[in-house]
Amino acid sequence: MRRIAIIGAGTGGTILANALAKKLRTEVRGGRLEIVVFDGSESHIYQPGNIDIAFRGANPKAFRRPPTQLLSREVKLLKSPVSRIDLENRAVIYDGGAKMGYDYLVVATGSIAAPEIIPGLAQASLNFHRSQEDAVRVWEALSAFRRGRIVVLPALPHKCPPSPVEAVFLIDELMRKRSIRKDVEIIYATPYTRAYPAHGIADVVEPEMEKRGITTYTLFNIDYVDPAAKKVYSLEGEELAYDLLIAIPPHRGADVVIASGIGGEEGWIPTDKHTLKIKGHDDAYAIGDATDIPISKSGVVAHLEAITTAESITSQIHGTGKVYLYNGRINCPLEMGGRKAVFVSGTYVKQPERQNPSTTKYLMKRLFNRLYWTMLSGALEPIFNIYLGPPYEVKVVADDANKSP
Amino acid sequence: MKWGVRHVVDARGSFCPGPITELIKAYRKAQPGDEIELLATDPAAKSDVAAWAAKSKNEIVEMREEQGYIKIVIRVASKGG
Repeated sequence: MRRIAIIGAGTGGTILANALAKKLRTEVRGGRLEIVVFDGSESHIYQPGNIDIAFRGANPKAFRRPPTQLLSREVKLLKSPVSRIDLENRAVIYDGGAKMGYDYLVVATGSIAAPEIIPGLAQASLNFHRSQEDAVRVWEALSAFRRGRIVVLPALPHKCPPSPVEAVFLIDELMRKRSIRKDVEIIYATPYTRAYPAHGIADVVEPEMEKRGITTYTLFNIDYVDPAAKKVYSLEGEELAYDLLIAIPPHRGADVVIASGIGGEEGWIPTDKHTLKIKGHDDAYAIGDATDIPISKSGVVAHLEAITTAESITSQIHGTGKVYLYNGRINCPLEMGGRKAVFVSGTYVKQPERQNPSTTKYLMKRLFNRLYWTMLSGALEPIFNIYLGPPYEVKVVADDANKSP
Repeated sequence: MKWGVRHVVDARGSFCPGPITELIKAYRKAQPGDEIELLATDPAAKSDVAAWAAKSKNEIVEMREEQGYIKIVIRVASKGG
């Protein structure tokens, strides 16, 4: 029996497993193929929900479900942490030493918010990226805040590029609702030259920040924090005092990637940005935050890379000779407060363009929060395909390189 | 100043979050005297990197258009502004 091993049941791993189960149902039911997902987590977290938890006080329970409820019955879930990935010998080591071979592997282990990378940051700051519990602490701190300076500070690299800007707008909205905005100074210190890395989106975001009295510091890459002095210092030589520091910590790859020596010291796996294969390997893929591809680390990217990889592996198993190449599409909602949002949309060759914020886009984002769990099953893919088209190009290879081993 | 190693950062095909992300990752590891060679296709990379180098007091020693991409070489003169 052949085996596809998927490490990680987050957004990318779950969508991929369910898509493969649908495409390869005959093989699985006939006992010729096994799809195994490794994930030791008790809950699958809808991570964009952390915005609602941190800045609207939403209940975390609304944004988590057990992985067993989200995977197709054709998929076997092993609730065991993987300790090592052995690409050379096509094996996964788990459960303290058990070994399982594979024919195809997909690493979908995500990324970890790691404030401890920056001296002083873990002690000095709160964040809403590491966990739901951290997001709750942000809400509690904001609810207790009466007057002073709030600094929102992203550090590179981090997941979800829109999230720091969303935080700033929603803090402004929250303080206005509490009628204390005049007593609260909001500072956004960004590592980029503008308030948003894509200039077309910065053109929309910056005037809104100015209108709402939010001060932006550009080219501020955090070097270290002095928690006693309540000051943060940048690599570029500036310092900023704060009363409340909300950081978007730098992220790193998963422990298992680092321990397996397949992602360098930061844990990003060298991955071909089109085929999504781990470089040097024809039977192993990496998707989502786990890769070193220069693209935003976001659920949208994990989703679209999962869809592409499902096609590629199916093609390899069926020996069609077709290669599926991810086009780098992103489509990330960015909420601006006041029931307005924009979508940051682009590809590897088309940068995000300026667009007007609208309530329709805000409602689409809110609707997606509800549709997420259905989306994981693959039920919405036909609709996405009609409106957006597939996130890949298809090429037929001349030789048998992509055919079944 | 000692002459150090050259860190090559290939950010071609990156628009969002952009080449600055890759540049800063390399800068954190670099030592004074090192060079960072940044390859980018985002046209904004030129103005972004120039602004960053000016603010952080690092030196751009080369910036030119290659076939289909931009090559920028920065000499790390300063860490911490």
